Amino acid sequence: MSAICILAPVVIAGWPVFSAAVSAAAAALGYQVVSEAARATDVVVKQKGMVELDIERSEVVTGKLGRDQRISVTREGVTVTFSRSARGKATLCVTGQGRSDEALRAFGEELSRAVVQQYVYQRLLEEIRARGFVIAAQETSEDRSIRLTVRQWET
Amino acid sequence: MTMAAREFDITIQPNGEVELHIKGHKGPGCLEVVKLFEQIVGELKSQQQTNEFYEPEEQVRYNIDQRR
Repeated sequence: MSAICILAPVVIAGWPVFSAAVSAAAAALGYQVVSEAARATDVVVKQKGMVELDIERSEVVTGKLGRDQRISVTREGVTVTFSRSARGKATLCVTGQGRSDEALRAFGEELSRAVVQQYVYQRLLEEIRARGFVIAAQETSEDRSIRLTVRQWET
Repeated sequence: MTMAAREFDITIQPNGEVELHIKGHKGPGCLEVVKLFEQIVGELKSQQQTNEFYEPEEQVRYNIDQRR
């Protein structure tokens, strides 16, 4: 053994990479993608049965054309719409009739954590392959953590 | 000749936090790996070196042996 480190993720992604992470996380948690489209920014009026959250330490990098992209997923009557906030952060809006704000927040937080996990997973896979490392083992635990054993070969 | 040199155990927690266990790297080589993962994942929250970290890298030890 040499070192054990803990790293806090930072999400910096273009819309295609970010929406791929949303789709993967949604599928893992039993959501269905209901729409993915570019739409003129609506004026969002806070209403009952709606909670808005930001993904901390995130930045959705996009040009002018990609600013209004959004993706919506749904499960058990709850719809979560991901988009890019005016400040460039990944933001999500959770709606669901007959649910408390706390319940909607719990749905949103669970899904946003899974999105960050999927983003990190995809990013690691990409970098591991690009650097010629080999994935010797991979498993997903019951608590949804993903474990990779990676080897670097020397000549 | 090709040989397995280094191994990393990477655990991605459900909230995206990454626990990285670096094996087989000694001294500065270990720090390089930490820097690499910082670039890929994000901020280093904590780091704990084990005894092996303080051992010289293989190449250094080999040179010292040759001088004897």
